[in-house]
Amino acid sequence: MKRLREWGWVLVAVPSLAVVVALFFVPFVRSAITSFQDEAGAFTLDNYATAYRLYAGDVVYTIFVSGVSLLMVLIIAVLVSGFIRIYGGKWVEFLFKIPLFVPFVVVGHAMRVFLAPHGLLNSTLAQIGLVNLDNPPSIAFTWVGISVALAWKNMALATLLILGAFESVGNTYLEAARNFGAGWFRQVKDVLLPMSLTSIAVAAVLIFTSMLASFSIPMMIGTGKGAQMLMIDVYYRIVYQQDYGVANALGVVSYITAMGAAIYYLRSVTKRG
Amino acid sequence: MTRVKIVRMILIVVAAFVIFGPLSSLVIWSVAEKWFWPNVLPQEVGLFYWGKVFQGRMVQALEVGVLIAVVVTALSLVMTVPLGYVLARFNVPFKALILLIFMLPQAFPQLPVFANATVYLYRANMGGKVSGVILIHMVGALVYAVWTMTAVFKSIPVSLEEAAINLGASRLRTFWDVSLRLALPGIVASALLIFLYSLDEFTGTLLVGSPFVLTLPVFMYNASQGYELPVASITALLLMVPGVVLLLVLERYLKAEYLSSFGRI
Repeated sequence: MKRLREWGWVLVAVPSLAVVVALFFVPFVRSAITSFQDEAGAFTLDNYATAYRLYAGDVVYTIFVSGVSLLMVLIIAVLVSGFIRIYGGKWVEFLFKIPLFVPFVVVGHAMRVFLAPHGLLNSTLAQIGLVNLDNPPSIAFTWVGISVALAWKNMALATLLILGAFESVGNTYLEAARNFGAGWFRQVKDVLLPMSLTSIAVAAVLIFTSMLASFSIPMMIGTGKGAQMLMIDVYYRIVYQQDYGVANALGVVSYITAMGAAIYYLRSVTKRG
Repeated sequence: MTRVKIVRMILIVVAAFVIFGPLSSLVIWSVAEKWFWPNVLPQEVGLFYWGKVFQGRMVQALEVGVLIAVVVTALSLVMTVPLGYVLARFNVPFKALILLIFMLPQAFPQLPVFANATVYLYRANMGGKVSGVILIHMVGALVYAVWTMTAVFKSIPVSLEEAAINLGASRLRTFWDVSLRLALPGIVASALLIFLYSLDEFTGTLLVGSPFVLTLPVFMYNASQGYELPVASITALLLMVPGVVLLLVLERYLKAEYLSSFGRI
């Protein structure tokens, strides 16, 4: 009887599971399978050979851009959260929450017009003589633009998660450190940071995967030529060449990169229970 | 202590510049009727493009987007409120597997998967249609909703439900009169975030809907790529309105656990 009731509960999960399985799990498996097939459906490794030949550089580029953004985000978020945790700062916290509510496409477009050669940033800097507008540096259409935009958008999430972790560190620890003469930086470095390392690692993984998988931001401010973010390659391969084989091979590469991160994430989530 | 105040002031100013700098260029572009470099500000300023945008296809895209978001939110709530309760309270068989499946879309890049899902949707005759876009939005919305609903119901003390059962209420009545009532603020908060997610969704909409189903993010993307910068900037500003309203009105209710998975989708 009890068994029966437990299986009844599974029924409640069926509709939601059906949608996620049909539109995520099955396509996910399909993309992995078709990446090993040629057009006739026979087994081949050609897709991976082509992907390696054409896009190996882009994989490195994607990891590099995401890594730089992640580093920026983590440093800023740890310092800002540390300051807020120790001295308080409602307004700073509020300001840092805003990017969470700005859609990715809007971030992409805003950064594009802000960082363009004659955009607002260069014009402002030119007013104080830092930039020569006759030969302005272009940030928007380079990897720096993508990195800055990704960092801007993810700063909010990083601060949210890291501040949350810092807040769960008891006051007594900070007081003890202060009694021994620890300044602001030492309190962050020697107390807050080591005590929230797991949460920060989880946040880093989440953000790194999201950056790796970012599509709309590089679509908006990416370069037309040269190295591309991986998701742009996948999209173009499908839309302009209808080449699902190579696109899916690239997809699998992105899964594997994300998986390294995901395994770590799953382990720490299940550990917390 | 004054040094702290000075540092805090500097932090606020720098943060304000970093946050509002990029956003302010949207405002300037939205009223720029004529703007050629090397001018720092537009030569001619006016609301011409605002009028144009509100007469054009933007309104249609807005209507379609809102319709999709309403359907997605309603369906997600109907499907995940009971499920969140069940997952929070009972030992469901294969619970770990169920949770794992709902974690997958968060852990892997969506675009390659959605590109393959698009093939299926076209085969099912739902590609390029509103129904297909709704379904693809449901994936992200459901994943988000399941996690938040489970968290919401977990935060309600079991003792209150036990009290109701001891007083003779049935399980169903306890769920309806006790659990659901207490969970309402959390349900409303996550419903608003699901709505916002669907309204802002770009990747799935572009893949499944384009070029037949146009929502605001896709409309904005097209305008931006076509160098219609004033039109794109106005649309970008409009797209920010719901999020800003939500942030201002609901800041107190939006707990970190609702937001942590939201920031990624």
